[in-house]
Amino acid sequence: MAGYHQNLDQQQAPAFFARGPSPLARLAFFSALSLALMATDSRLQYLGSLREHLMVVLQPLQLIANAPSMLYESTNEYFSTHHRLLNENQLLRKQALIQAISLQKMKTLQLENTNLRELLQANQSLEEFSQLGEILHVGRDPFTKKIVVNRGSVHHVVEGAAVVDAKGVIGQVTRTYPASSEVTLITDKSLTIPIQIERNGLRAIAFGHGRDNTLDLPFLPANVDIKPGDKLITSGIDGIYPKGLAVATVTNIQTTPDSPFARIICVPTGGIENHKQVLLVSISQLESTNSAVSTNQTTENTGTSVTAAETVKAPPMKASGQHKKITNGAPVTAIDSSTPNKPNAQD
Amino acid sequence: MHKTKLQTIYLSLLIAFICLLLPWSGVALKLRPDFVLLVIIFWILRAPNKCNIGTAWFIGLWVDLATGGVFGQHALAYTVTTFVAVIYQRRLVLFSNTQQLVYVLLLLLISQLTLLTVKTFAGNESLGWAYFLPSFTGVILWQTAVALGLNTSRASRSK
Repeated sequence: MAGYHQNLDQQQAPAFFARGPSPLARLAFFSALSLALMATDSRLQYLGSLREHLMVVLQPLQLIANAPSMLYESTNEYFSTHHRLLNENQLLRKQALIQAISLQKMKTLQLENTNLRELLQANQSLEEFSQLGEILHVGRDPFTKKIVVNRGSVHHVVEGAAVVDAKGVIGQVTRTYPASSEVTLITDKSLTIPIQIERNGLRAIAFGHGRDNTLDLPFLPANVDIKPGDKLITSGIDGIYPKGLAVATVTNIQTTPDSPFARIICVPTGGIENHKQVLLVSISQLESTNSAVSTNQTTENTGTSVTAAETVKAPPMKASGQHKKITNGAPVTAIDSSTPNKPNAQD
Repeated sequence: MHKTKLQTIYLSLLIAFICLLLPWSGVALKLRPDFVLLVIIFWILRAPNKCNIGTAWFIGLWVDLATGGVFGQHALAYTVTTFVAVIYQRRLVLFSNTQQLVYVLLLLLISQLTLLTVKTFAGNESLGWAYFLPSFTGVILWQTAVALGLNTSRASRSK
């Protein structure tokens, strides 16, 4: 190959061969540049804000690209039948009624809970801040499980916020852009979520499986007390996910004699691939400082958990004020009040 | 020389980029050819003095931005691919249509292999054989474009 080029170069180079630096030089230069970029991006996290700024440029293109499907959907909606709308309306009314009743109960329960916690001088459980987002599109890399939602840092979405649909947790915000944010689904291989078995309070961590929309519960002993049909809920000890949201249902447990661990497969409860609207739930400052305290007492002036650091950054005055109040009010002995009283085999 | 204008090149790249941004999902997402790379290869072969490795690298950065992966992985893949494309560009006039198709397929596979290498280093992704499907759909798209009258070799010969 090189000889071929030298031959050409030795001839008096015609105008159309005059191409500046040789392809090899260009290859070396640009490869080095991209390798440097990759290293910076994956190891040093300097490029986050750059990405955010460039995303603003991409926004109009994205709008253009979304226009056809939007148009299709809106016309589809326009032509939807009267009958179907009536049916849907009826169904929704019924649902709203049922939910209103349980909501009323919930309010009294919440009040009672707050009072009881005050009596026990335990940490107050958390206020959550949530907003409705609409899925813009599925992630562009078919081999990662991601979606992009139409709420971004302009709408105060923070990285680490939990993403929930009507049935359960579906993922976590992993990157925020000005007007959109990227959500990694719980079935993605890189996402883990601390869970608890609803039946016996056993705590574990669920890992996304990556391929067939399932979750794994690895590193649990073969004789662990988990049965098919058990429901997994968020444990809330991470300070990221609100406590008690449905995550998945155990479908299959395999034990092999040569492995000390059970292979536990779970199917997510939330409809990961069939919703248009999702709820972005971020835990307020109060909550994150709380959880930071409950996991570790070294958080007098800096939050250790990621969300604490994230959220405290935004309004520092307010957060630190609240933080003080909590640490004064809550004695160190009442730390782990958010976890069940049962002794747990696992953590 | 070519009558290819710089605006034509950038406009076609922009259109390819918008194709990438379309809300693909499900099977279509797995089959989605790499529009941007195809257009880059086309221009590299047709007008190598207007569109070169640097262009490919720059567009690759934008693709990285849009796909949300590690910054620089598509840039690297496109750089490597266009390097191979540039090396053989002068011989392309000798290629028959079938040979050219195989050549384009190889280029697309090179790009995917480079990406695969980077992704394997980064971990966290589960890939199957379906990973290579976009290369084949890409070749089909290329053939369609050739059938519709776009031609690289003819143009580069008639300089």
